[in-house]
Amino acid sequence: MSSKVSVSPTSLIDQIVVPGDVVLDLSNMTNQTIKLGSGLRQDSDAISAMRAGKFSYSKPNKYWVESSHKRYIPRTEDHVLGIVVDYKADNFWVDIKGPQIALLPGLAFEGATRRSIPKFEACTLLYLRVVKTNIGMNPELSGTDASGKASVFGPLKDGFMFETSTGLSRMLLSSPTCPVLEALGKKLSFEIATGLNGRVWVNAAAPRSVIIVANAIMNSETLSATQQRIMVEKLLAKISD
Amino acid sequence: MEGRLANMWRLTVNESKFVETALQSELRVDGRGLYDYRKLTIKFGKEYGSSEVQLGHTHVMGFVTAQLVQPYKDRPNEGSLSIFTEFSPMADPSFEPGRPGESAVELGRIIDRGLRESRAVDTESLCVLAGKKVWSVRIDLHILDNGGNLVDAANIAALAALMTFRRPDCTVGGESNQEVIIHSLEEREPVPLIIHHLPIAFTFGFFNKGNIVVMDPTYIEEEVMCGRMTVTVNANGDICAIQKPGEEGVNQSVILHCLRLASSRAAATTKIIREEVEAYNREKSLQKVKRHPTLAKPEVSGPIVVVKEGHKMSEDEAIAAEISREYVERLNLSSVELKSSKEQEAVAASPGNFKGGPSNWDPYTEAMDVDSLKASLASRGVSVTKSTIKKKANDSGNVQKEVTGDLEMKDTAETTKHKSGEMTLKDAVKPKKKRKNKSS
Repeated sequence: MSSKVSVSPTSLIDQIVVPGDVVLDLSNMTNQTIKLGSGLRQDSDAISAMRAGKFSYSKPNKYWVESSHKRYIPRTEDHVLGIVVDYKADNFWVDIKGPQIALLPGLAFEGATRRSIPKFEACTLLYLRVVKTNIGMNPELSGTDASGKASVFGPLKDGFMFETSTGLSRMLLSSPTCPVLEALGKKLSFEIATGLNGRVWVNAAAPRSVIIVANAIMNSETLSATQQRIMVEKLLAKISD
Repeated sequence: MEGRLANMWRLTVNESKFVETALQSELRVDGRGLYDYRKLTIKFGKEYGSSEVQLGHTHVMGFVTAQLVQPYKDRPNEGSLSIFTEFSPMADPSFEPGRPGESAVELGRIIDRGLRESRAVDTESLCVLAGKKVWSVRIDLHILDNGGNLVDAANIAALAALMTFRRPDCTVGGESNQEVIIHSLEEREPVPLIIHHLPIAFTFGFFNKGNIVVMDPTYIEEEVMCGRMTVTVNANGDICAIQKPGEEGVNQSVILHCLRLASSRAAATTKIIREEVEAYNREKSLQKVKRHPTLAKPEVSGPIVVVKEGHKMSEDEAIAAEISREYVERLNLSSVELKSSKEQEAVAASPGNFKGGPSNWDPYTEAMDVDSLKASLASRGVSVTKSTIKKKANDSGNVQKEVTGDLEMKDTAETTKHKSGEMTLKDAVKPKKKRKNKSS
């Protein structure tokens, strides 16, 4: 293991790592506090990767492995799109593409009381926030933000939902707006809700625009920024003909 | 119970509503037209009779095997064809391992009906010994990914696998003429199946009480649609099978419409399959050719050495005509080859065009090269007899004279060629030496 550490840790940033790779050596990083994100674990002085993906770093001290999966591992404060499965014992059972069904307490909505619990049919699409992810328990969701306001959360009506990988949904949420969305937004008006669990909901006035947006997003998974722009331009040109 | 719930794929209200509203305005969620087919790609494995078909996201693998079995009593001189399906939970979480589900059985039955009832595969040619031994062909269909319309994809996978399948050749022999000898693939060229036509399945989905017809439904559409119909047709427009599951009734006119659509599509799909299979066969045969030179070289050079020895043995009483004929033949060949080798050298001088050399890869010219070298070597030894040959040839007439004249010409040409051959061999070394000489 020590032989692996010889690789200088800074060189691994933005590189692809595989499970078992030692990415950081704490012995030569004393007087530093670092925060580990997903896909990393500590073995005394060695920080090793647990997932395959890109080793990322953000100033001042955050490290994580960025990867793309079809399945979602719940994490607190993630915004997800869930599908209601059932209602049992004051809890909605919600499918969030995770290993377990997540629970959404009926009271976790703005203005909900024992008497007025919102009613959702099975297969309703909800935009939710992950609140608890304790080991051995089903993850808990909430329909309000941290201050108890409904804000953006709640049921999504109409529109179209499609599934992508978690990597793509993260890309769609990245802070300088993702090139696909930017290029599409110049020509079309649409509403979009992206869950970190790899579900994307799109709505627009015309079904046509919804289909265009959905397919453009699904096609952009493996494309670079410029390729994405070209792809969208071509698509829009084809449509306008 | 809970784990199963978590793994189940479910369609939201939003999706099903959207699919239907979009179809009202003749739009499909993946941007296709109502009667458009998804992109079809066919790949083949290394072995005979394995295929992989991708239809959009749907991914099916087909594998054909055959074994000798006793035929059914009522059909003593017919082989059999059976289809087995494997729905792996990897393809779709709703598929459960173990016993084949309802959809797995249905898929197998539809393809089986299409292939067997239409007699697409000639089963009588699979008979080896009537009533005793026939080939039983087994098609295994593995669903690797479910993106909707498994029937069509699996059907194409089965056809592609059948078309590239080769069964080992076998003969009847032994004491009582009742023993079957199976020849290995190396021993004898394996035999392809006889396929009369390609029955191709097309699946239609019905929406809005059968008013909207959609070809090649995707995964989402399959969940929403109220009815389904699979039509198996071939390129000639013959209807091989129709399967109409689901509750929704369909009008006669709609069925006829579907049939017309399917038969117009069948030719295109048949063409795709045939082209892919042909490309695969070509590749396979090329592989065989590539393997040849390594085998052929020793085989070619072997007997020549023997011939040489034979000549040395009979050197004193050389049969002039034979030798001269042989030389002429060889020299003719070598002269041809000389030209090509000269060309090659010229080409080789400009490295960019090197690939242009037509006989670059040809194993036979190479073999001939060795041959001609030997011939030239031998010619030194035979030089004494050669003059006698020439004399004899001179005596024999003008034609022979011309030939010997040619021979002389070619002899000189050969020596030059020999030199040039050295040039090529020591190409890398000589110039340096020359340079050194020049510099010194």
